[in-house]
Amino acid sequence: MQEQPTTRRPGEVVFTLILLIGSLFLLWQAYGISGFSALSSAGAFPMAMSAVMVVSLAIILSNTLRKPAPAAVLERLRAEILPATVVVFCGLILVYSLILDWLGFIPASFLFLLASITFLQGGRFKRAFGLSVLSIICVYVVFRLVFQVVLPEGLIPERAIIAWVQSLFSAGI
Amino acid sequence: MDALTYLFSSWIQPDLLFLTALGAFAGIYIGAIPGLSVTMAVSILISFTFSWEVNPALALMNGIFMGGVYGGSRTAILLNIPGAPAAIATSLDGYPMAKKGEAGQAIGLSTVMSFIGGLVGIVVLAIAAPTISEFAIKFQPRDYMLIAVMGILLVGALSGESLAKGVFAGAFGILLGTVGLDPMTAEQRFTFGSVSLMNGISSIALMIGMFGVSEALLQIHHLNAQAVKQKIDRIVPLWGDIKRHLSLTLQSSGIGVIIGALPGTGGDIAALMAYDHAKRITKNPEVPFGQGAKEGLIAPESANNAAVGGAYIPMLTLGIPGDAVTAVIIGALFIHGLNPGPLLLLEKPDMFWFTVGNLVLADIFMLIFGLTGIRIFTKIIECPKAVLFPLILLLSVVGAYSINNSVADVWWMLGFGVFGYFMKLYGYQVAPVILGIILSRLMDDNWRRAIISERESLPDFALGILTSPLSATLLGIIVFVLFTQTRWWKRRFGAAPTSVDAIKSN
Repeated sequence: MQEQPTTRRPGEVVFTLILLIGSLFLLWQAYGISGFSALSSAGAFPMAMSAVMVVSLAIILSNTLRKPAPAAVLERLRAEILPATVVVFCGLILVYSLILDWLGFIPASFLFLLASITFLQGGRFKRAFGLSVLSIICVYVVFRLVFQVVLPEGLIPERAIIAWVQSLFSAGI
Repeated sequence: MDALTYLFSSWIQPDLLFLTALGAFAGIYIGAIPGLSVTMAVSILISFTFSWEVNPALALMNGIFMGGVYGGSRTAILLNIPGAPAAIATSLDGYPMAKKGEAGQAIGLSTVMSFIGGLVGIVVLAIAAPTISEFAIKFQPRDYMLIAVMGILLVGALSGESLAKGVFAGAFGILLGTVGLDPMTAEQRFTFGSVSLMNGISSIALMIGMFGVSEALLQIHHLNAQAVKQKIDRIVPLWGDIKRHLSLTLQSSGIGVIIGALPGTGGDIAALMAYDHAKRITKNPEVPFGQGAKEGLIAPESANNAAVGGAYIPMLTLGIPGDAVTAVIIGALFIHGLNPGPLLLLEKPDMFWFTVGNLVLADIFMLIFGLTGIRIFTKIIECPKAVLFPLILLLSVVGAYSINNSVADVWWMLGFGVFGYFMKLYGYQVAPVILGIILSRLMDDNWRRAIISERESLPDFALGILTSPLSATLLGIIVFVLFTQTRWWKRRFGAAPTSVDAIKSN
């Protein structure tokens, strides 16, 4: 069991409240499935679980409120919970998953790696470029060629290229 | 005779042999690199092995599991950073040994003891599982429900910050598992009218998010932590050392198997318990505990690998995972059309004996790779974090995408990744969520079967539990676990010695 901190963590009350409101909403939704019609109904079990969620969150909330509030909430929130690195990195992942389908696996992943490696190591673009190229080749060979995973194709007609390379080899033999 | 053929099938088929070796090798590094965990690796890998046969997929995962549980000890010894939760206790005495210039000895000893522990776990699995599954056929639906509740409660109670947070996480996981069309009545549950939710939320997208993305985001906090390097001397341990500590190794392995076999609890808790046990039974250690006692290294290392075999017991006999990794593996078995439970051993004994034989093979490969390749090792763990984390996220995105070739699963994965990040920051564990979503269907089905057979009467249901010795015992354990979390118990007996702080302060 981890040690409990002596003061609240920054944002802890808000997080618990959001969870509690969410759980109450889910309890209401679970009630809507089949109400109190029968113990074996489709809604009985989800209702019991969401009720457990609500009760445990109420206990967590009361325990959290009993602890003293942390000093310098905003600074600590920025340092411990949402440092700039994490926020920017989340943004990069979001953009990556948005362009993945449209741009295709290779270009989208390359851009993602290039941007995130450059960002995380604080500059050094050439090194990041080299590392991204190397990583993307490794990932492509292992997952697309060896594991045969289907990846979004996007702008590069990759399947046609593979077929063309294969036909070259089979023609050679 | 057939059992023997299945037992050794992975030893004689080159592709399976190769995959097991690859798994064990990769597992050691995955376990060793702080920030990468076996659970993360196995959950990302599941989506890539969809199209495979079940045996190659299992061979790779068994190798990673076995190697990964051991691999965490490397960085615990060399850098004082446990590569995996199961290696937390290892760093207490392993790192002081390394500081004294005995890093090679520490690595060698932990490798051999992990091997012995692993072997004990597998032998117990091979002997106990058939007996348990014969016994499990007699289980009533209510017993399954009680075992599942017990598993989720144990993880919640032992690993989280407070029981309430563990219970919330478990219930949340179970609730997520009920999303979609009800399998009995086809009523919609939590679908909000969306067609894509009717099939439910992909448990694999959830696992990749909670174990992969959230962990990577957390690790970005410590991007610039510098590690101190240690010199490594001779790595093959002295025979005398092994012989002298064999008794402790076997005892710790025993603890490891039992803790591993309890639904929900795995190698991390087993290792801490074994460390505590070693401290109590070693009256006059050559070196005091915490300052480089060999006993303090041997006990957790043999226990955490013994827990691997133990964790497979409830998974293969009851369909209830023994820990977070087996929860992921059970997900893989469902995908391959297998239904782990008491009938699995009767209907598919080949699968069981294959797993046993393959685990032994993985254990052997772990020993071989553990005692060699130390030079490459020091190079690989220096892999820059600025490359590692983007790569993990890239693989997570690709893994989630390849489940159904749809971006929707990527969204789920990212959503749960960010949510898991906040959960971990505020002291919630994510393992109960995963156990919950895996066990949800089993609990829901068995609850309804149990209550229907009692004609919807709660008093009759309660009477059924109290009058059956098995159900009453299970209920007793659940009540006991809840009771140990009360203030009165904690004041009277102190907190259970399952945390590093508690052990250090002893």
